[in-house]
Amino acid sequence: MKHVLEGSHAVSEAVRLAKVQVVSAYPITPQTHIVEALSEYCSDGTMNARFLCVESEHSAMAAVIGASSAGVRTFTATSSQGLALMHELLHWSSAARLPIVMAEVNRALAPGWNIWMDQTDSLAQRDTGWIQLYCEDGQEVFDTTLQAYRLAETVNLPVMVVLDAFFLSHTFEPVDIPDQELVDRFLPPFSPRIALDTSDPFAMGQMAPPNVYMEMRHDIQKAMEQVSDIFAKVEEEFTEIFGRTYGMVEKVYCNDAQVIMVVTGTAASTCRKVISDLRSQGEKVGMLKLKMFRPFPTDLIREHLGHVQKVAVVDRNFSFGASGIFAQEIRAALCNTLKHPPVFGYITGLGGRDVTPEILTEIYWKTKHSSAPEDESVWIGLLD
Amino acid sequence: MTTEPKHAEKISLFISRSNISTEINKTGTWRFVRPKYHEKTAPCSAACPAGEDIARIEMLSNQGRYQDAVETILLENPFPSVCGRVCFHPCETVCNRAGFDDPVAIHALERFIGDIAIRDELTLKLKKFPENGKTVCIVGAGPSGLAAGYFLSQLGYSCDIYEARSEPGGILRWGIPRYRLPDDVVASEIERIKKTGVKIICNTPVTQNFLQDVKDRYHALFIGCGHGRSLKMNIPGENLAFNGLEFLNLLRKRKAVPSNGTTAVIGGGNTAIDVARSLVRLGATTTLVYRRRKQDMPAFKDEVEMADKEGVRIMELYSPLEINEDDGEYVLSLQRMKTSGMETDRGRARVVPDGQAIQHLRVRKIIVAIGAEPSTPWQFPSHKNAETLYLGHCTFTASEPPLLFGGDLTNTIKSVPDAVASGKQAAMALDIFFKQGRHAITDRLNSCLVGNGPALSMECYMGGKRWVRNPHIVSYDDINLDYFSQTPRVESESLAINKRMNSFDEIEATFTLNQAMEETRRCFNCGICNACDNCRIFCPEIAVILQGAKRQINLDYCKGCGICVFECPRSAMDLEEEL
Repeated sequence: MKHVLEGSHAVSEAVRLAKVQVVSAYPITPQTHIVEALSEYCSDGTMNARFLCVESEHSAMAAVIGASSAGVRTFTATSSQGLALMHELLHWSSAARLPIVMAEVNRALAPGWNIWMDQTDSLAQRDTGWIQLYCEDGQEVFDTTLQAYRLAETVNLPVMVVLDAFFLSHTFEPVDIPDQELVDRFLPPFSPRIALDTSDPFAMGQMAPPNVYMEMRHDIQKAMEQVSDIFAKVEEEFTEIFGRTYGMVEKVYCNDAQVIMVVTGTAASTCRKVISDLRSQGEKVGMLKLKMFRPFPTDLIREHLGHVQKVAVVDRNFSFGASGIFAQEIRAALCNTLKHPPVFGYITGLGGRDVTPEILTEIYWKTKHSSAPEDESVWIGLLD
Repeated sequence: MTTEPKHAEKISLFISRSNISTEINKTGTWRFVRPKYHEKTAPCSAACPAGEDIARIEMLSNQGRYQDAVETILLENPFPSVCGRVCFHPCETVCNRAGFDDPVAIHALERFIGDIAIRDELTLKLKKFPENGKTVCIVGAGPSGLAAGYFLSQLGYSCDIYEARSEPGGILRWGIPRYRLPDDVVASEIERIKKTGVKIICNTPVTQNFLQDVKDRYHALFIGCGHGRSLKMNIPGENLAFNGLEFLNLLRKRKAVPSNGTTAVIGGGNTAIDVARSLVRLGATTTLVYRRRKQDMPAFKDEVEMADKEGVRIMELYSPLEINEDDGEYVLSLQRMKTSGMETDRGRARVVPDGQAIQHLRVRKIIVAIGAEPSTPWQFPSHKNAETLYLGHCTFTASEPPLLFGGDLTNTIKSVPDAVASGKQAAMALDIFFKQGRHAITDRLNSCLVGNGPALSMECYMGGKRWVRNPHIVSYDDINLDYFSQTPRVESESLAINKRMNSFDEIEATFTLNQAMEETRRCFNCGICNACDNCRIFCPEIAVILQGAKRQINLDYCKGCGICVFECPRSAMDLEEEL
């Protein structure tokens, strides 16, 4: 049944239906609404779960690491500074192979203080071993949260479900919330492959000398390499039950496109409109929505972008001293293919600034009219 | 139901895992500070004139250990049921809980525990020193004399208390009205004192001559006869007025005291308030006349408020000039007073006549209660006497035999718990004198202070566990408030104002068991380990070991992180630097 929900609560509803057993979080705008609803569900008995109040995001992640090690389904959520504070434990949770699911609401890092949309917080955690899935709307973030549990618990890696601050977290949209029975069919109770047990005590995560450490790291990468296959299968099952599908990437008008714009998050919705307008003017433009960022879907990128004339990447993030992060990754994926297209990097919409149809249209024309990128990153809409 | 994810078999899961115990890693070697169980002093117990171990008493009652709670009170105060009714409870004023919501109802809880002891006729196992063959003569079976006898008997002395009246109790029996302190409560607690071996000889007024005769038979004398004679106003017509103490005394004897119509009570102390409130119960329209401001009355604030509520009219800043008889009634002439700066030593306003303003009050009866003095002119040692030790709640003179004065004769605050403090201090001083000599008295007493005093602990003196407690008084900031939630203070049932008018029934009811449970749960138990187990639960090294009911730190593994100390809600632990 469809409910009009804000994006945050779409996540909360998914967590409820996933029958998560331990939630721990520390409030931070714009994430707070997610765990606010969950704390109510925990206290009023709607969820049979413990909500652990902690004094920081570092402790929140530590708490879910503990709970997940004991073999229960866990959830946390954060944003920006909170995610940065978790950094050490992000490495821990993936290397301990714990299937934790976290909602990450993209928010700018300070200073200057800014609570609005910006992707740099989550992208700065790209090397921590977490799977990252970027969502476009309320329905997708609901569906992705459910899928995240299946994925995490299958590959034994943590999953970050990423959503835009305010544009998604605080926007109300109709979201189909299925019955518990259907969700149960898709997502069975968590059956951990390894769990602490007081009746059979053992230690986890202790010393790993040089003769094993490298193998352990390779093992994580092997699991990562299987994610795309498993994600496809998980989505297949999801589609069977719920009739919706997203893909690790989604291509729109790509088949005959000469310029393909790569977008993420809610900007994809804006871009759909821009593309359709440009198409009606006869422009051969396409859009590739990137949902999965880790593991990076290199094969799909090569397949869809390898033979196009030009690629324009819209980055709502920046790596100082380098360029937009999505652009970097796409360049890296394409550089070993023959005759790969030039990759035009555009920086826009940092710190909550709107990415309007006009901006995306401008990016298209700029790309179309330039034979080569004028710079690694072109900043759009800077004030003089 | 599917339990194993379908792709699980394909995914390799190579993580470090070990079934070998980590006990080999003695994390205790990392430590440079160590936690220590170190109980501290609760502010309530330091403020209690009798030095009761209140935080511990509330803990014991909350755990349903009433016998232990009663015994813990009785170590320091033989009168919990009495004090639970008439004490001015300075403990509640300093209660740390006041900063959080409302102070714990310590006064009502003391009464609850005292009443349990009486109701259940508990057989108590109180610590006692062996009998030492010494006998003490005590003058006056009021609260200080009874307390002195009680504590001396704990310390192994046998005591004879001489009392002028027909029954023991002093102010408890003959002064404080029944609506505050019923007879049977007083009788029960005195009975318990008698059971410790104290002998009370009534109908025996003690004179100087009597003392001369008996002093050779005793090893020491304690004079605690109290203030039995009312002070005079020294104004014309004073003989037409009735005496307040005498009035209360008659009431206690259940003699009819006709008191209808308008009545004036002169004075601002507890006796004046007792008289005024008793008059209300006898049907009189009562006016209380006090020469200073209402807030400067020496009576306890709660008592003044109650008098106000019960309809006593209070005329402040009026000083009596004379009394005249007129047609079967009396005319009280009053000088209007005004304030003129503050008295430096007593913190009250100085008052002076306000010009010629004089007012006349026509009443059926006038009762005077402006203070009292000893009824026998004892040779009370002057402050210049170098032989005498002035110990705060009593004086000690190493004469032959040693002579002590206590109770209202020496106390600044004339209250029942201060009388108890006096009896206790006298008993301890005397025992120190006999065991170690006069020179040791002050130091030894100081070593038994609760916190930094002035209250003394008999438990400490007798070598009980309280001895090791840190004198640091737990402050509000020492409490970890995360472990408490705001809860309303439990109030006892009280008689409706209109039902008090024609009755001397007790106003307040004793807490029910449920009320007491609810209220003791509110106590922070400042400085006291109440076995909440936080230290053990939060220790990341499982280095807090529970042995029976006792917690110990396993220093092989304690790495000195201090989490236990931080998570202790009540400051019963400390971190110490390693040497």
